[in-house]
Amino acid sequence: MGLVLLGVLIVGLAIVLYLFNMPHRDVVGSNADFYLTTSTIVHEYLENPTVANAKYLNEEGESKILAVTGTVQSIDEDMNQQKVILLMEANDKAGVSCTFTQSTNKHTDNIETGQQITVKGVIRSGASYDADMELYEDVILEKCDIIKK
Amino acid sequence: MKKVTLILSFVIIYALSAFTALPPAKLVAKDAHISFYSHTAVEDITANNYKVTTTLDTDTGELVFSVPMQGFEFEKALMQKHYNSKNFLNTKKYPKAKFVGKITNMGAVDFDTDGSYTAQISGEMTIKETTQNFEATAAITVASSQIELESKMDIVLADYGVTFSKGKPSTNIAKEIEVTVKANYKP
Repeated sequence: MGLVLLGVLIVGLAIVLYLFNMPHRDVVGSNADFYLTTSTIVHEYLENPTVANAKYLNEEGESKILAVTGTVQSIDEDMNQQKVILLMEANDKAGVSCTFTQSTNKHTDNIETGQQITVKGVIRSGASYDADMELYEDVILEKCDIIKK
Repeated sequence: MKKVTLILSFVIIYALSAFTALPPAKLVAKDAHISFYSHTAVEDITANNYKVTTTLDTDTGELVFSVPMQGFEFEKALMQKHYNSKNFLNTKKYPKAKFVGKITNMGAVDFDTDGSYTAQISGEMTIKETTQNFEATAAITVASSQIELESKMDIVLADYGVTFSKGKPSTNIAKEIEVTVKANYKP
């Protein structure tokens, strides 16, 4: 009887420890759910954000991983020392902002503006026109890495 | 002859004025940083978001923040999951939080002169589907055409319909969350 109780306690403890230390989703190590171009995702969002959000965002924040192909418009760094590449086509109103990680930052070292690249990352928000800011907001991808299409 | 010279002078002056455009009044900062901190006797929780978009109009003082809610990163993965879930911020349904307001003491802030200024800000904050009047103080630093804005404020979760009656969230999450904002505006 005592042994069973001990067994239950150990299993319970194991579960609690797992939940407490549950690893973050490994986006960089996962495959993309969708392959598309910068223009396609931007148009999808500008046309119908509700449908696009239903398709790409997830209730638990585990949103879809997208592989987006497009032209590099700029390369910057954010306040967390992560590289940010903006993919945007000349005729589009918004682009796809891709933020890399401490471990994938170095993969952007040789990227130049004007280059066509494919970036994989998890989507955090879609493109939209913000009337208060009078600005088109880009699609935001995070946990990005450069991939070969 | 004099008349022609006069007209020509006006034409030249008008044409030249096209090349002396004033710097744009509307500044943008993409990738601004917002973090929040919850302190209870049981545990402290911190989350960071480096993907905030914000605009500042140096003529009118209009200030807008657009916060992609799924951009908040927590140290604990389980906490991040709970934060995004339907029971908490429901970020799939409400992917963005907004602040729309303005600097109310524009006389005290000189965007053309390097220095540090204290700005009073007033506007409306929208989280999930609730909009509330909101006021805060910000430190604005002007250094050779770059404008930095920093602010710290408290947000009461219940004001925006985010409440917990029982269980861990009611004991582990503070009723009032401390929010820190930092943005670097460029033309």
